[in-house]
Amino acid sequence: MNNHTYDAIVIGGGHNGLVAGAYLARAGKKTLVLEKRHLVGGASVTEEVFPGFKFTVFSYVVSLFRPEIVRELNLPAHGLTILPLESTLTPTLDGDDYLYRDGDHYQTLRNIARFSRRDADAYDDYGRSMYFMAKAVKYILGVIPPDPTALHPKDLMGLLEMARHFLGLGQEQLYTLAKLMTMSAADFVEQWFESEPLKATLSASGIIGTFLGPRSPGTAYVLLHHYMGEIDGAYRAWGFHKGGTGGLAEVLATAARAQGAEVRCNAGVARVLTAGGRATGVVLDNGDEIRAPLVLSSLDPKQTFLRLVDPAQLPDDLVGAVRRFQTFGSSGKVNLALDRLPELGCRPGVGRHLAGAVSISPNLDYIERAYDDAKYGHFSKQPYIDVILPSMIDPDMAPPGKHVMSCFVQYAPYKLADGEWTDEKREAFGDAVVDVLARYFPDIRDIILHRQVLTPVDVERITGITEGNIFHGELNLSQLFFLRPAPGYAKYRTPIKGYYQCGSGTHPGGGIMGAPGRLGALEALRSSS
Amino acid sequence: MNEHYDAIVIGAGHNGLVAAATLAAAGRRVLVLEGRDTLGGVAGTEEVWPGYRVDSGATDAALFQDEIVRKLDLARHGLKFETSPALLLAPQPDGRALTLWRDEARTVQEIARFSARDAERWPAFARQVARMAGLLRGMLLLAPPDLSALRGGDLMGWAPLALRLKRLGGDDMMELMRVLPMAARDYLDEWFESDALKGALGGSAVVGATLGPRGAGTNLGFFYQNLGGLLEQRFVAGGMGRLAEALAAAARERGATIRTGAAVARVLVEGDPEPAAVGVELAGGETIRAAVVLSNADPRRTLFDLVGPQHLEPETMRHVRNIIYRGSTARVNLALSGLPEFAGASDPAQLGGRIRVSPSLDTIERAYDAAKYGRYSERPYLEIVIPTLREPSLAPAGHHMLTITALYAPYALRDGDWDGQSAAFGETVLDVLEGVAPGVRATMLHCQVVTPLDLERRYGLTEGSIYHGQMGLDQMLVMRPIPGWSRYETPLRNLYLCGAGAHPGGGVTGAPGYNAARAVLSR
Repeated sequence: MNNHTYDAIVIGGGHNGLVAGAYLARAGKKTLVLEKRHLVGGASVTEEVFPGFKFTVFSYVVSLFRPEIVRELNLPAHGLTILPLESTLTPTLDGDDYLYRDGDHYQTLRNIARFSRRDADAYDDYGRSMYFMAKAVKYILGVIPPDPTALHPKDLMGLLEMARHFLGLGQEQLYTLAKLMTMSAADFVEQWFESEPLKATLSASGIIGTFLGPRSPGTAYVLLHHYMGEIDGAYRAWGFHKGGTGGLAEVLATAARAQGAEVRCNAGVARVLTAGGRATGVVLDNGDEIRAPLVLSSLDPKQTFLRLVDPAQLPDDLVGAVRRFQTFGSSGKVNLALDRLPELGCRPGVGRHLAGAVSISPNLDYIERAYDDAKYGHFSKQPYIDVILPSMIDPDMAPPGKHVMSCFVQYAPYKLADGEWTDEKREAFGDAVVDVLARYFPDIRDIILHRQVLTPVDVERITGITEGNIFHGELNLSQLFFLRPAPGYAKYRTPIKGYYQCGSGTHPGGGIMGAPGRLGALEALRSSS
Repeated sequence: MNEHYDAIVIGAGHNGLVAAATLAAAGRRVLVLEGRDTLGGVAGTEEVWPGYRVDSGATDAALFQDEIVRKLDLARHGLKFETSPALLLAPQPDGRALTLWRDEARTVQEIARFSARDAERWPAFARQVARMAGLLRGMLLLAPPDLSALRGGDLMGWAPLALRLKRLGGDDMMELMRVLPMAARDYLDEWFESDALKGALGGSAVVGATLGPRGAGTNLGFFYQNLGGLLEQRFVAGGMGRLAEALAAAARERGATIRTGAAVARVLVEGDPEPAAVGVELAGGETIRAAVVLSNADPRRTLFDLVGPQHLEPETMRHVRNIIYRGSTARVNLALSGLPEFAGASDPAQLGGRIRVSPSLDTIERAYDAAKYGRYSERPYLEIVIPTLREPSLAPAGHHMLTITALYAPYALRDGDWDGQSAAFGETVLDVLEGVAPGVRATMLHCQVVTPLDLERRYGLTEGSIYHGQMGLDQMLVMRPIPGWSRYETPLRNLYLCGAGAHPGGGVTGAPGYNAARAVLSR
């Protein structure tokens, strides 16, 4: 039996686990990060799935990463390189025309005006409004949620400070915020815009990672959640990481190691060791025991509370809440290795536009219908697809002249009405995606060399995330802030002393943000000292 | 120009009458102006065919506030409530039917036929709903706080409520914050497994909203509908119109004048640079002045049609334009030569409450799907009441009336218009009905289809929205009717809103009218 002793163990080498490990080590703790796979990153990995072709297998853009982490861990010195991904091209349904938005603001306005002059006029107002909203809400990304029912002075101060922050916003902004928290993405953007491609492509941010459609109330918050990353212009925080999101994971691992942390792969954790209500270490899948007085889980809440520890030693209300925690996965991924650069039917030729995103979201109904399929247990026959060509941004992703295409797809429900996902169904889903792509990239079928199709079941199988939910749990009002992941357990602590949470299932939620990792580590450090 | 009034109330819907009676009770000289010839608006009772009378809209007054009944002494003015031992009948496609009774033990027994587990959980569920409803009920008669200037005074009214919240204990409070914004489906799924039971309950979540049970916030709708108690219902003896009559009698006794057939064309606005409402002009040109004007019409109709954009700031205009109305409730009234037989309900006592044709939550959700794309549902969700069971006088001897509320029938049809599709929709509703009450078509004497467009034309409801604006999370409390104006005042000085478009919202509560009158009195 190995009897190494550490000060802290972090379970899971995803981006949040690595961030947590780095912060613990930075505070002088002898830290070990354990990852079950052969590489770090979790859902933030780059893998050479086919020789020469590197896929950003799951997540593909870095949009929400917290600037304070970049600063505090000095990530640029460890290789942080975010490449801009600044345009979005939205083809119309028939594929003949498109809406193009990029860094050229005035050209973007002219492009929007081709669809609606009114929309072009409203575009700046909308952008300003969202900018202020994101700025206002960004504040909560850096705070540990106070418990509104607690009478502890720290909670009351926290609530007071938050009340002061939000009431300081001004009336109009406060109400806009209330609307963002409660409306559907479609209703929210329809307050400004009338043209379909614009409404749809903006609303699409509201459904990413959720099992909701653009007309479902609550999706406006998800839209805001995705908007928050776009405002830290100074840090160039929005874009594609050199080498894919796995490149970012490597940077975080390097930073953690530089702080003195040990990062070990091929080391899956079977369970957390406890004694007398305290965490004392972990047992690996191979039976090895590793001791540490601090154990942090960056896994999702169901793994953290129902698998890694014995639920029998937890309070019933917590176990019940975690069981109820909505984790239904709804996103799929199709990664393509291409023989050459594909051409868009609506905008033939090579150009900067292929270094941005192509959003297959021609109109609101299109996305809503894709959701309708999923809510009754079918994958979308005509899904919403967010396409990028990583090799256009970072040529190292594919052999010279060849390309990789990353397709984020909704909806692919974790459970199907007609039984389990099978290989046939997975390929049928892949075919549906390619069929849709072919409408916009007419030559795509001829140039596909390899195809990787991932359903939520695959995401779960490979990364371990329960039900393949990319956010570790729905981002809805009942699962946010002091309710994430469970009422009374939103402060990264658990009922087991020395055992903490630091994954996307905690405040402020999913996306490559790093905030749960940082806040979880800081809370563990504070309350254990 | 004739007399001068302290207050003019536009519209004699139940809220307008509550406001008028409350103001009159405080000694104000009040004039109520109603464009139609009958009182109550969409909470009235009308004769649709000779000898057949039917509630025009609302059929249930469970939410009507007891404080108003007491203060206005409505019992003395003829108001009487009736209840039925059966709360809900849910006929199933397999020929069975689930009946939920006022008597809990009987309900548990009945649910056990569908799921033993659900039967076991029912009492705890009923307790939780009662606890949450008890807490929320207190909000109905309070004006939402003004967020722009959190003054002590505004919050005083909320203090007892906050104390109750605190007394609830952390767990209940957290639970309340967790469950209110949920989708009704997710909430019901946490409790129950039986589709029949969940479908029966789910109908409460989507009243007055073009949302399906999977929509976040529909659980708030569920709790709102159950504020008077789980599935509680209270019929007004003699038909809903009797409530309006009692309110009118109470108002008149206190000196209010009520004129019917007196449609208001516009609100008179005077004053520069600070314009204010000074009275109204009737459709015939007559002008009447008053110190304050209260409008029972919905917010958009009030501010756009009766006041006019020229008197409003662009910011206000934008908010009013953005109110989501989206009516999708239609009504089908049937006169039948006999009592229909519902599959699985051999005892007529089972028909005394509501009858919901929603065998699962997905049937409601699928019905909603059509509305998203501007079509009416081919398999609408139906809620049926048979008022003649309690009140035989509503129809000739032996005959029965069926009042069917059908969802979803979106106001904005993408193809064609309602005048062209009303009859076809009626047939669709009859098809669904025939499925659970075989033979009903053969007993049909008359059929009336009231589409959202009809509701707009007849009662002035913008987009046919029976709740004067969708009851979604985004249009509740401080957001209702528009941000910054949730305290019954409007951006136009001396003009108040006293209808369902204001807090707490729709349904026969009397609360907006009562609260608005008190806001006027506390000026």
